[in-house]
Amino acid sequence: MIIGAGVVGCAIARELSRYQAKVCVLERESDLGCGQTGANNGVVHPGIDPPPGTLKARLNVAGNAAFPRLCRELGVPFRRTGLLAVVTDPEEAMLLPLSKLRAEANGVKAEVVEGEDLRRLEPALGPGAYGALWAPDAGITCPFRLTQALARTAARNGVVFELETEVAGMLVGRGRVRGVRTTRGDYLARWVVNCAGVDADLVAGMAGPPEFTIHPRKGEIVVFDRGGPAVGRVLGVLSLKGDPHSKGGGINPAVDGNLLVGPGAREVADRRDTAVSADGIRKVLDKFTRLVPALARATPIAAFAGLRAATYREDFIVRPSAHMDNLLHVAGIQSPGLAASPAIAAMALGQLADMGFSAPSRPDAVVAPPPRLFRELDPAEQTQAAAADPGHRRVVCRCETVTESDVVAALRDPVPATTLEAVKRRTRAGMGRCQGAFCGPRVATLIARERGIPLWEVTRAGPGSWLYAGPTRR
Amino acid sequence: MGGHPGGPGIVAVRGAHATMSGEVDVCVVGSGPAGLAAAAAARRAGAGRVVVVDRETSPGGILPQCIHDGFGLEEFGEAFTGPEYAERAAGDAACVGVEFWQGTTALALGPGPELVLVGGSGRQVLRPRTVVVATGCRERTRGNILLPGTRPAGVFTAGTAQRLINVMGVLPGRRAVVMGSGDVGLIVARRLHLEGCEVEGVYEILTRPGGLVRNVVQCLHDHGIPLHLGHTVVEVHGDRRLEGVTVAAVDADGRVRQGTRRRVPCDTLITSLGLIPELEILRGLTDGTVDESMRTGLERVFLCGNAAFVHDTVDCVTACGRLAGRAAARHAAGLRWPRRVARVEAGEGVRQVVPGALSELAEAARFHLRLDVEGFDVEVQARARDRPLARWRLRAVSPTQAVALTAGPARLERLRQDRTLAFVARPGKEEAGGRIHRR
Ligand SMILES: Cc1cc2nc3c(=O)[nH]c(=O)nc-3n(C[C@H](O)[C@H](O)[C@H](O)COP(=O)(O)OP(=O)(O)OC[C@H]3O[C@@H](n4cnc5c(N)ncnc54)[C@H](O)[C@@H]3O)c2cc1C
Ligand SMILES: Cc1cc2nc3c(=O)[nH]c(=O)nc-3n(C[C@H](O)[C@H](O)[C@H](O)COP(=O)(O)OP(=O)(O)OC[C@H]3O[C@@H](n4cnc5c(N)ncnc54)[C@H](O)[C@@H]3O)c2cc1C
Repeated sequence: MIIGAGVVGCAIARELSRYQAKVCVLERESDLGCGQTGANNGVVHPGIDPPPGTLKARLNVAGNAAFPRLCRELGVPFRRTGLLAVVTDPEEAMLLPLSKLRAEANGVKAEVVEGEDLRRLEPALGPGAYGALWAPDAGITCPFRLTQALARTAARNGVVFELETEVAGMLVGRGRVRGVRTTRGDYLARWVVNCAGVDADLVAGMAGPPEFTIHPRKGEIVVFDRGGPAVGRVLGVLSLKGDPHSKGGGINPAVDGNLLVGPGAREVADRRDTAVSADGIRKVLDKFTRLVPALARATPIAAFAGLRAATYREDFIVRPSAHMDNLLHVAGIQSPGLAASPAIAAMALGQLADMGFSAPSRPDAVVAPPPRLFRELDPAEQTQAAAADPGHRRVVCRCETVTESDVVAALRDPVPATTLEAVKRRTRAGMGRCQGAFCGPRVATLIARERGIPLWEVTRAGPGSWLYAGPTRR
Repeated sequence: MGGHPGGPGIVAVRGAHATMSGEVDVCVVGSGPAGLAAAAAARRAGAGRVVVVDRETSPGGILPQCIHDGFGLEEFGEAFTGPEYAERAAGDAACVGVEFWQGTTALALGPGPELVLVGGSGRQVLRPRTVVVATGCRERTRGNILLPGTRPAGVFTAGTAQRLINVMGVLPGRRAVVMGSGDVGLIVARRLHLEGCEVEGVYEILTRPGGLVRNVVQCLHDHGIPLHLGHTVVEVHGDRRLEGVTVAAVDADGRVRQGTRRRVPCDTLITSLGLIPELEILRGLTDGTVDESMRTGLERVFLCGNAAFVHDTVDCVTACGRLAGRAAARHAAGLRWPRRVARVEAGEGVRQVVPGALSELAEAARFHLRLDVEGFDVEVQARARDRPLARWRLRAVSPTQAVALTAGPARLERLRQDRTLAFVARPGKEEAGGRIHRR
């Protein structure tokens, strides 16, 4: 039993689906990846930041190494862009060799670049960039597609995904968790894995006295339209100065060509508070426009905020519960949790084995990459697809060229999309420059048709998020 | 999505879903009033095969969702509703032998010109002699202005809301706040009100309404909908569905005035933040600059209608389409593609001017401008670096209304004396309230 269908929960589900075990994933939201997994930069960090010796450092480096193969296997976009951690103040140049030492201690390739070499690596950098640490192993991926592909593969191998099912308590007895109590009834389980992201401490608390606490740390990210400054690398800032809470973040290209700027960092009290603040946006833009001045003329198309699941020790937690023999915590998975996710899943399986879990492997396990979208096909394939399928002749989302058949495929996925947001995560319909103004009603119409419900019962992201009030008077 | 319950049906169009192949003289992308006018004009000017492609299943562009009247006063001397105007324009084009490929999206454009189309019978590459891009506008969104807050359901652009109500028969919500007072916003406010959705108010950041006075009176005052000038929405609230917005008074620089924040409960926010020309298929090829006959920087490709300049009325859009269509027919028949001989820029007091270039073939031109000045008795000059080349006097101008200036052969001859000319506008008489608006 896995609690939480973020990238970590889904990666663990996929690993477990290689075995002949009954696996079920419980997720509170109406879709996969609605937590941190749906609000990050998609950067596959190289591992230059985490302090040497930490679990974070180890899993980050191992996860990064596993990414190219995993993405190829699952049909998920991945690009090695490399990362430049930039110093803008010559007085802070000593940070470069220091960071290089740290990177090397983590086993990460890195070198210091300055002047011409730096501009050659990233022509978009402004005059303020003095020097940088260059880590060629950094990459970018699409967190939604990755999570979907992991879940899809798991589902094809028999894993059951129960969405809109919130774990509210645990049934415990004699030092073991017997099952969980949810908003949709009780589920019995022999093994429970807690991957509940920002709420992992609350879930842990359902099984006994507190073992750790998580304090949500908010970060705003601004999305810029394609066709803006051509930034080819992941860019970060190395600095000792400034607000310690605004550490991290940067500018990075996303696999679909948009530019992401941010995040900042700010502790918040409310675990649901993903509101974007004017102040947060301003700080992020002020800070990073200095790196790439051309950003000032670029067009933003959206802003969102994510909550990192930070613990006080700031390290990942992948260990059995102190109170329950069959409960594994996979918690505190903040950045670079996406990059580390393949290694986290592998470690979680090792831990489960140490705890006594065993099952024969599944000889017929399949890999089920998501169907390729029309946009991803080459011209000849597009011609074929459009000839064979009238649904590929109807473009539903103009900004991202998503066809009716792309949307229908998402609605019929093994872990089906049922809401506007879920379709957006799977197809990008609504993520483009018009932000759903054009495709929103069209996608909603398809959802209504596929599910056999009236248009006004379609939601944006599950119960309570109704899109339309009802029919007009005539 | 095919039906238009809000208005009379569009005429059945001859040639719809015909085989998408063969030789094409003029291919028009977009069947709004600009595209329809361009296509009909091209046929009338002697073009052989003229095809209009549009991703919608019926022609008319944005018009079928504009069920209010007031369209075509200049063109037809009569006030039509949007669907009626569309029906007329489509009928006219069909009568002169224009072919319609509805339900067809232009995915990409390339030099040649070459168009990648998907629809009707599949995906294909078309190589027409000329292409007229008439793809209209899209709306500025809350994302473009980075409006802070949560991201719940219930935030719609005015155009989307208009489409939901008038074309799809769906009510977006029960209590709405409208942000921005452009014409589309005003018209949607009235529509929502008439459909039983309470409109709490319209909030406009400037100190003047963005739309026509006529619309302020007929859409708001007549229905008791408050208009808050110098106010804007500063934050969005609600986790799942919108629960409210924070509104505030702002100063001339758009900064929130202390102590004026107020939370307004509502389940719907309509954003009417302006229109942006849809130049998607020109991206990476050429910018949206056109010359006096709507030629783009890409050989044998034209741009017209709201995609070239956000016009105030459909009549201007139609005239602009006609200009492009006529020129396209001539180039399809073999007329050489001209060089550009002058650049036209917006100078002091002028926000935008179209055309942005003059070609060697230019004999006359019609300039469309958006000004930053208001007042009475305003002088607009077209200047070379050091001297005025031509002057126009305007009785009354305002930043919210476009102005059109004509240059006949004599004036144009003078304008072509320099390679770069800038349009400038001096504020109107002080006592008449003239001033410069800065953005
Ligand atoms: C702004 C930001 C930027 C980031 N950028 C990067 C980056 O570029 N690269 C990188 O590697 N990492 C990045 N991260 C970190 C990365 O996003 C996370 O480490 C990763 O997504 C963690 O995945 P997860 O599955 O553990 O958590 P989540 O995705 O948060 O998943 C937890 C899930 O558990 C569910 N859940 C919680 N409680 C319950 C319950 N009681 N019952 C049922 N379900 C429950 C939640 O709904 C959620 O879906 C970033 C994070 C943030 C916030
Ligand atoms: C929401 C909205 C409401 C408006 N309301 C009014 C009003 O009430 N009164 C008024 O006078 N003016 C109104 N206008 C202004 C209106 O845009 C113009 O009057 C006129 O309709 C513009 O004509 P057009 O032909 O340039 O563009 P449109 O009418 O927008 O037509 C463009 C057409 O191109 C198609 N298209 C775009 N890209 C492609 C592609 N790649 N492939 C195929 N087809 C494509 C579109 O589907 C559309 O049918 C409104 C504009 C908007 C956006």
